[in-house]
Amino acid sequence: MTTGLATQVRRDLTLGWRGRGEALVVLGFFGVIITLFPLAIGPDAAQLRPIAIPVIWIAAMLACLSGFTRIFAEDVRCGWVDQVALSPLPLPLYALAKAGVHWVLTALPMLVIAPLLAMMLYLEAAAMAPLVLALALGTMALTLLGVIGAALTEGARGGGGLMAVLVLPLALPVLIFGVMASVPEDGGLVTPHLMLLGAVLLVLLALAPLVAASALAETEAETGA
Amino acid sequence: MGASTQTRPEKTSRSSELSLVIDGVALARGMRVIQPAMTYRMAAGEITLVTGPNGSGKSTLLRAIAGRLRPIAGSIHCDVPILYVGHADGLVPALSGRRNLCDWAGLNDLATTPERIDAALATLGAAGFADLPVRLLSRGQRRRLALSPNGALLLLDEPTAGLDDASRQAVDALIAGHLAAGGMVMAATHDPLAPGSGPRELPLEATS
Repeated sequence: MTTGLATQVRRDLTLGWRGRGEALVVLGFFGVIITLFPLAIGPDAAQLRPIAIPVIWIAAMLACLSGFTRIFAEDVRCGWVDQVALSPLPLPLYALAKAGVHWVLTALPMLVIAPLLAMMLYLEAAAMAPLVLALALGTMALTLLGVIGAALTEGARGGGGLMAVLVLPLALPVLIFGVMASVPEDGGLVTPHLMLLGAVLLVLLALAPLVAASALAETEAETGA
Repeated sequence: MGASTQTRPEKTSRSSELSLVIDGVALARGMRVIQPAMTYRMAAGEITLVTGPNGSGKSTLLRAIAGRLRPIAGSIHCDVPILYVGHADGLVPALSGRRNLCDWAGLNDLATTPERIDAALATLGAAGFADLPVRLLSRGQRRRLALSPNGALLLLDEPTAGLDDASRQAVDALIAGHLAAGGMVMAATHDPLAPGSGPRELPLEATS
């Protein structure tokens, strides 16, 4: 089972690296959304600074969302999910591995460039660390939600739009606690809001793989005969 | 057949060593019942060809045995590991055949060495194209790669579709070798398959 899990992670990292264009598109989308705000509002620090954190959060949510549809598509299409279902590797662990690798490939680069984009919105240097920390937890929670959405909408026509309708409402707690954790009032990093965000993440960590696995249990490749 | 059949008593006492038992299974696709009640048994070393017109539920039956589709009634029991090769062959186009095979072995906790992978590929005449990305391969070449791993109950969905004669013979030889080693094969097919192995036929009727 551990060999299976390690194999799955290595395989997804290899495939992710080969198809890194897709991850770059997600990253580019994140950057473009944020760049639109100074262009639309004008380079006025007094107006941009208060909205910097909400804008970055919403951009992160939308960019994450744009990457979710592809999580299981290839594996279902080529019959790999069939092979996983028959192997000793449990489907929930497979779903968790997919989520972990997807986070590393898409969300981690976003965390790296988030401070740069935040500077463009006149966010003070002191506010960067809480923002990145909260974004890290928040994108993990979002990715777990995305795995549920991807498994549920796998094979559905227009899965992307359906996914947004499914995932975004469920992501509201992540957005609310995330934004509040990004602006700590007393200057400390670990605030009650960050802890609540962490709690949301832990609940999803326990539930999302199981939900995704039961949705994947009867997915079917197209009969491409 | 091979050594395993010689040590086994004649067909009369076969019930004690049944490996696959399908009991009153009803199958449905969506809201439509395609097999109302089906009972079938298989023992080690046997091969069954599932035949029938398109839409009679051949693929559905194989998916149900593989556990990828829940029957609406009845039970399926199999006490040996199952290997399933469906219409989709389980190969990711971006990776090489060899890498796909190694990943499959790792997924199933099989201890593999490069030599064993090479041997498996050579058996199927797939060694020549094992290092090319699968997306560059023809259908027949992909099929040969997909058939490389060895399991105890092979569920094959149209294993010879799109293969030339040489590839068909390679598949027949693989099946014969698998049966001789005490494995089982159930294949959905429109072609005669492994005629030398004395296959039983399981005809499915189309329900309209």
